[in-house]
Amino acid sequence: MPEVRLTLTVEAREILGNLLRLAGPAAARSAVGRARVPGDDPELADAWRRGLAEAASGELAILASALASAKGDPAVVILPDEAAGWAVARALTSVRLTLRETVFPAIPDDALENEAQLARLVPRLPAEQRHALACYDCFGLLQLALLARLGGDEIG
Amino acid sequence: MPRTKVLPALETRETTAREPRWSVVVDNDPVNTMEYVTACFVKVLQVARPEAHRLMLEVHEEGRSVVWSGARERAEGLAQELQRWHLRAHLESDA
Repeated sequence: MPEVRLTLTVEAREILGNLLRLAGPAAARSAVGRARVPGDDPELADAWRRGLAEAASGELAILASALASAKGDPAVVILPDEAAGWAVARALTSVRLTLRETVFPAIPDDALENEAQLARLVPRLPAEQRHALACYDCFGLLQLALLARLGGDEIG
Repeated sequence: MPRTKVLPALETRETTAREPRWSVVVDNDPVNTMEYVTACFVKVLQVARPEAHRLMLEVHEEGRSVVWSGARERAEGLAQELQRWHLRAHLESDA
């Protein structure tokens, strides 16, 4: 597959880039924290967690680099190939999960999955949580646009 | 004339132990979108999109889905790969 291009406003690119600098390291740690390793073999557990940490760090680095090198107005994010596209899709999920776990853990699961319920809740949230939710939504929209480009009909 | 030797009777018993079957289970989460979860199943489980969509709906509606069952080694590989895609995957054994 040739390169994948996504466009977003310059403001969105800056805000998401800044957020990623703050949340990136936490996201890699958080991926390890979520690990559910089978059995009680410490060597397997260590290798399992190390694998997840390395994968998450690598994917977040690809996302950070893609946002940092996006040029133009609106900014064009260029991903060189499909593998980079999927890595960015995973990184976007990783950051969304981290925002959910660290900034707005008190929002009930039901509300997070229901737009109307969330809309009623947002005005009562502290500013920090409102801003984090806006970034969470923005990362989600970026991921949906990316998935539409990547397709996914093909197996493998 | 040769004598016939009578050998003591031998008894053999054969027992077989079935290898436990391991299931890869994915739990629902409120963060990952339906589109993303479906794409994960296509890529990781190597299933066609309609089957991936069916599994995703099962996760969403039932709260969990057994997405693969079989030998432990393969189950471990799939569970770790699904976790790498940030899904709530874990293993269960029928042993």
